[in-house]
Amino acid sequence: MLWMVLLGIPLVGAFFVLSVKDSAAKTTAAVVAALEVLAFVAFLVGPKPTLDLNWISTWGIRFHLSADGLALFLLGLTAVMTLVAILASKREYGRTYFFWILFMEFASMGLFGAVDLFLFYVFWEVVLIPVFFLLTGWSGVKGRVAALKWLIMNLFGSLFMLIGVVAVAVIYQENTGHFSFEISHLTHLAIAPAAQPWIFGCFALAFAIKAPLWPFHGWMPDAYGESPAPVTALVAGVLSKFGVFGFLRVMLPIFAPEMARYETGLLIWAAAGLVYGAFMAVRQKDMKMVTAYASLSHLSMIALGIFSLTAAGILGATFLMVAHGLMVGGLFLILGVVEEKVGHRQFSGLMGLNQGAPRLATYFMFFALAVLGLPGLPGFAGEYMIIQGLVVHEVVFAVIAGVIMVLAAWYMLRLFQGIMQGRPDAPAVADLSRGQVAWLIPVALLVVLIGVWPAGITSHAVPSLFHAVHFVAEQGGIN
Amino acid sequence: MRYLIPEVVVAGGALLALLAIVLVPKAKSLGSWIVLLALLAAGIDAATMWHVTASLFMSNTLAIDQYSILVTELVLLAGVSSLLLAWNADRFGEEFPVLLALSVIGMMTLGAAANLLAIFIGIELLSLPLYILAASSRTQAGGEAALKYLLLGAFSSGILLFGMALLYGATSTLSFVAYPAITAANTWLLWSGLALVIVGIAFKLAIVPFHMWVPDVYEGSPTPVTNFMAFGTKVGAAVILLRLLAFGFYTQDGSWGTLIGYLAVLTMIVGNLLALPQMSLKRLLGYSGIGHAGFLLVGIATHSVDGAEAMMFYLLPYGLAVMAVFGVLRLIEGNGDEVTLSDLKGMAYRQPWLAAVLIVGMLSFAGIPLTGGFVGKFFLLQAALFASQPGLAVGIVVGTLVGLFAYLRPLQMMFQRTEPSEKVQKVRWTVASVVVLTVAVVGTIGLGVYPEPFVHIVSHSADFYWLTGG
Repeated sequence: MLWMVLLGIPLVGAFFVLSVKDSAAKTTAAVVAALEVLAFVAFLVGPKPTLDLNWISTWGIRFHLSADGLALFLLGLTAVMTLVAILASKREYGRTYFFWILFMEFASMGLFGAVDLFLFYVFWEVVLIPVFFLLTGWSGVKGRVAALKWLIMNLFGSLFMLIGVVAVAVIYQENTGHFSFEISHLTHLAIAPAAQPWIFGCFALAFAIKAPLWPFHGWMPDAYGESPAPVTALVAGVLSKFGVFGFLRVMLPIFAPEMARYETGLLIWAAAGLVYGAFMAVRQKDMKMVTAYASLSHLSMIALGIFSLTAAGILGATFLMVAHGLMVGGLFLILGVVEEKVGHRQFSGLMGLNQGAPRLATYFMFFALAVLGLPGLPGFAGEYMIIQGLVVHEVVFAVIAGVIMVLAAWYMLRLFQGIMQGRPDAPAVADLSRGQVAWLIPVALLVVLIGVWPAGITSHAVPSLFHAVHFVAEQGGIN
Repeated sequence: MRYLIPEVVVAGGALLALLAIVLVPKAKSLGSWIVLLALLAAGIDAATMWHVTASLFMSNTLAIDQYSILVTELVLLAGVSSLLLAWNADRFGEEFPVLLALSVIGMMTLGAAANLLAIFIGIELLSLPLYILAASSRTQAGGEAALKYLLLGAFSSGILLFGMALLYGATSTLSFVAYPAITAANTWLLWSGLALVIVGIAFKLAIVPFHMWVPDVYEGSPTPVTNFMAFGTKVGAAVILLRLLAFGFYTQDGSWGTLIGYLAVLTMIVGNLLALPQMSLKRLLGYSGIGHAGFLLVGIATHSVDGAEAMMFYLLPYGLAVMAVFGVLRLIEGNGDEVTLSDLKGMAYRQPWLAAVLIVGMLSFAGIPLTGGFVGKFFLLQAALFASQPGLAVGIVVGTLVGLFAYLRPLQMMFQRTEPSEKVQKVRWTVASVVVLTVAVVGTIGLGVYPEPFVHIVSHSADFYWLTGG
């Protein structure tokens, strides 16, 4: 029942928003999103029921959603970030904009909750559509191209994943004589050796494109660059987690032996993305792009944690997914405010904004420090756990990750100094308004909260991860 | 004869409408009403015989089973939607409903045909009225389209007939139900006859490389007729190809499966590729229809019950999407005939409801989840993989990806802001078109969200597969 509420609020709310006047759309959407946050809180404090209904019984497909430790806080992240993004959006965007935002929330909630592979896939693709229309209708000059790139690249991966989904189900049917798409049933499949790398690759490709992981990030610069700040915050904060979440939710249970076998290759892949993202971030001149590539680098960090196949690494990845969502989402929103105030996104010509806008500078610095991994803030806790997992298992990659953390400090401080400090040579800009502070404070508080109390998340995540990690261990994946 | 009532009702409706046109010239829409009621009555009657045990009639000429009943329902849906889209449009002529009904009977015959002659009669009965309907807008483009359609149609009928003659020569029977016993002989006469028959049907189904006529004919014909061709003709041609091959040429090795598989992949990719550069919306849909014919062929190529079910399933979401898109087209074209992509500019702001319908239709074509098109593609993929044909699966994926570009362009156009100075035709909503669009959208999303009932229905309709050989 609670799941019905959790999915129903944004879905019904989205259509309700369509029916109100454009001027009232933002308020209505905000109320809907706030209700969704309340529904999530009910989930958090109360029992966590699952929803398990027959959907397409001919194929053993079930409408099965569960808020286990892996998904629980990502659901919260979605609820919170959607509310904040709506509050940060312009009223003039109109009702269709808010419809798509709420529809995206619905699909994201479904995706994080799904434990049936078919259901997972359905939400996986559905979530592409709102972003496509948001990029098409409410973005910069190159928005149309960005939207096409987003959808085509992602669907390219997704359709191959669909082959994978069907193949896994077909193999299960041939093994057992009946259909099931339940992810927990699909473990221990006897996949023909010749087909293994292909099916594995189908899934990995889709997840890598959505995240994005290097070198499948072709859609990212355009999509992040062109979209309005609230949409960027949602795509980078929430949607980018889908890819890495897919590795945890789908690949770890189904392909544990394969993951153990390809581990070194996967680690090298993630490490390459980590280094690539960091160096690209250092040399960007556009402040949104710095954050975009920083985000790419951090997603590779998360992937590194997962691919370490150690309990600490996977736990760190789970934690960092939530933390990164809040931090990078907040940072993109701040950058959106800056862009709105100065009219462009280049470093050059921007200096000393902190003189006229101290509050803006403070929040900017807070989120920048969080992203670069300052101890006490959650970025540090997550990266620490990931590195711990790597040290145990593959120490070379731990060293690479450590070095990149230093680089992260460089590009983030460069961003902050370039914009906020120094002698102002442009006219001073107005500081944050009270309305803007209202949505920044909760995000900042949440970041601080999980920074000083990571156990709040990790203690929930451990039980559900234990099973997955244990299974990998059986396969000889963990030393 | 109880089982032929739907056909008889439609035929009676057509004749009655013909009489009404002559006797009561004043009542303009009387003919349309009669045909509409006849189509609906036939649909209801066909639905009541759903639990019939499959059987052959008229010395193995017609087979009445769940398969033929489902086909009847599908083509009636196509007929009703076209009739409603042309409602009250005098410019198509009073004979429009009569010809439509005749063509519907042809399609119903194809669904039940178990005999080569029945196939031929069905195909001709389907085509002849369509040649006239293609020209019913009385424009030059319409005439051109009709002539092109007629010439190529006659050509393909010739090939079909020649193939049938060869088959008859090889087997000395017209009833293909009896073939499985004979096919073991495996003579060149038999197989070349089959090849020619496949080519003849492939013309109607618009399979690459027999697709050349489609874009011109779609573009020149009035929109309701195009809707009918895109939905009804495709249903008729696809189901008879499936039944002929599965009934008559059931072979364990599936020798024709490979050929159909190559044609399917070729059609999916080429059809969708050709859709990319089109500026006219109808041409775009014509090429996309070719691509979809390729998807239908996948179901046949797998040579399995799953494949047959998947193809039968695919027909409904495809047809509903066709109804949605052509319904929108009909509303925005007004009294013109040509709608280009740039006419869609700003539609999302001007006519948000129409834009929403078009979005649903296009996304279903593209196979995005929560629309019927997705479940259809999923079903086909499943059939392809169960048949251990990953090549077909990859073909589906590549075809879908290419098609995606074609479907996304119109959607992006709709969100492009227009200059306020540009003149826009005002849309005149009619009750009939609202009915069509509602059915199309509700059906498309319903099939996407809860496909179980229809999956169940198609699983019964493909039972015939085991009548022979298997």
